[in-house]
Amino acid sequence: MMFPQNSFSKPTVFNVKKRMKVVLILMLLAPLCITGRLFYLQLFQHEQYSSKAERTIYNYLAEDRLRGSIYDVQGRVLARSVRTHSCGIVKRYVKDQTATIDFLASTLGISKAQIYEKWKKNKNFFFVAKKIKPDVYMKLAAVRRSTLGQGMELTPEYERLHPFGKSAIDILGEANSKNVGLSGIEQMYNEELTQDISKKRAKRSARGEIIYDRHLKEKVKTGNVYLTIDQTAQFYTERALAKAVEQNNPDRAIALVQDPNTGYILAAASYPAKDGQSLAFQFTYEPGSTFKSLVVATALDSGTLSPDAQIDMSGRNWEVAKGFIVRDKQHQKDSLSLPEILQLSSNIGAGKIALEIGPKTLFSYFKAFGFGSKTDINFNGESKGSIAPYNTWTKVDLATKGYGYGVAVTPIQLITAYSAIANGGTLMQPHLVDRIEYANGKVDKKAKPIKIRRVISKTTAQTMREFLQTVVEVGSGKRAKIKGYNVAGKTGTAEKLDKEGGYGKRNHVVSFCGMVPATNPQFTILVILDNPAKYAFGSTAAAPVFKEIAEPLLVLKAVAPDQTDFE
Amino acid sequence: MRKQLLLGLLIFCVWAFIITFIHINVVRSGRIVSQLQREADIKEARNQYEELEIARLSGPEIITTFASEKLGLVQIKPHEVFVLEDK
Repeated sequence: MMFPQNSFSKPTVFNVKKRMKVVLILMLLAPLCITGRLFYLQLFQHEQYSSKAERTIYNYLAEDRLRGSIYDVQGRVLARSVRTHSCGIVKRYVKDQTATIDFLASTLGISKAQIYEKWKKNKNFFFVAKKIKPDVYMKLAAVRRSTLGQGMELTPEYERLHPFGKSAIDILGEANSKNVGLSGIEQMYNEELTQDISKKRAKRSARGEIIYDRHLKEKVKTGNVYLTIDQTAQFYTERALAKAVEQNNPDRAIALVQDPNTGYILAAASYPAKDGQSLAFQFTYEPGSTFKSLVVATALDSGTLSPDAQIDMSGRNWEVAKGFIVRDKQHQKDSLSLPEILQLSSNIGAGKIALEIGPKTLFSYFKAFGFGSKTDINFNGESKGSIAPYNTWTKVDLATKGYGYGVAVTPIQLITAYSAIANGGTLMQPHLVDRIEYANGKVDKKAKPIKIRRVISKTTAQTMREFLQTVVEVGSGKRAKIKGYNVAGKTGTAEKLDKEGGYGKRNHVVSFCGMVPATNPQFTILVILDNPAKYAFGSTAAAPVFKEIAEPLLVLKAVAPDQTDFE
Repeated sequence: MRKQLLLGLLIFCVWAFIITFIHINVVRSGRIVSQLQREADIKEARNQYEELEIARLSGPEIITTFASEKLGLVQIKPHEVFVLEDK
């Protein structure tokens, strides 16, 4: 039998060399492909895949807003942001619930029950603790890579700290954990204090740990705000005011210290102290007798009266208009000199002087002293007070304005006006912020002594200081006397409008505004107690507070006594 | 020609591997740097707390309280101060 011959029957000879080459190429090709793919993924697709991973695993944005500090004029820190952390739990990542809760409770000093309660209440995530201090954070961070740390989220945040507690908090205000200013200086200078450096990206690893991306860090440009406040002066002022509050139990209390020569506010205390709500700039009231000094100064400066003028007091009852009678009960004299009007705080005397001056002149001096307009101290919510236009004043209005009724002023306006008397007649721009120092070394000087205008002549200012000195020496301000120093000042006790629109003795404001040393004033101090629980007077309740504030300040600034014989 | 091609391919492979290795190491180092930075931040925060504590302790309230209550010192009156001025 013959088999048909086909082409395949021919024995094939394999080329081994060729096959070896093919195998070698295949063997090389595999790692080449892997390396090539890795190369491609790492260099060209890295961003795409990492962002995809972020999106699929977890996408977390943590705001990192740096914030500068606030200092007093001497460079003492009043407010600083410190980085803290909050600790949260993402329930689904937690491996061992009991062990994790035990660890957190012992490390954070929180009861286990509290954490269990939060665990039950929240479906996926809850905060265990906030504002965690660095030492505790270190303990938490140490276990992040272990089973205990799985599901634990440590998020950076900020805590605004005040080393002197609540001192000057009404001026400073508050900033939140995101470093945003909410009130007071913190809010007013938020732009200068903050820098939103970036939105930091962070991603979560398979273990639940958050890894922050630091690539976006920028240069620090935040500013530090330096106030004109002196923390030591602030402490003594707050201490004296707190004592007065304890003794008199008023609804509100204010103490303000100003350098009359520069207009700088050295201390400003309010009661009750609320974050960023300083009564020194926001409170308005009828000043009462402390206003008489300004009326007398107007009379002297405008030439209406001479320093030795006598005002008729016969009868001690003065009917200004039909049905409106002003009485002086504190003296039996038929005439009073200008210093005596201030010493005895005579309403008749001040009212008659106001009539002598006339509405137009009195109004223009009030405006020149800065009443009825904001001082531009740049504090949020500053009130401008109110003084009605002079053409609407009746005779009674004019007389009552003479002794400080029918006008609404703020403490900062009144102290700045008194400072004009103290410094020789010039109204100075009050300042609360001294300077802003930026991280790049740039200094923005805010407080420069600015003379707004001359209100009264040097002679008038000198005469007024002498008049006011007699108020403390022999008049109603005796309790403001300081051994070795001449003090000039004026007390005030003003009844407040009640709900029915009349003045009653139940609601009243007592105050004292003065300067020391009277011969060359270094401090102007205003003390106000609004509505003390028991009826009080400026002479008994406010003047001693002036003394208590002034004494340590004189020591602090080493102001030499201006009396030579005081033993 | 083939030999040259194979050699080129091999060199490319080695180069790509080195580049990839370096990149991985850079990422790893970045992570270490990030961790160190975090630790530095914590130490800085701890330092700030210490500074604030020093500020508090050297503040007028603490000094005055300490001076009067612990040391029995009495606050001086202003007329009792003698100022020696430099000439």
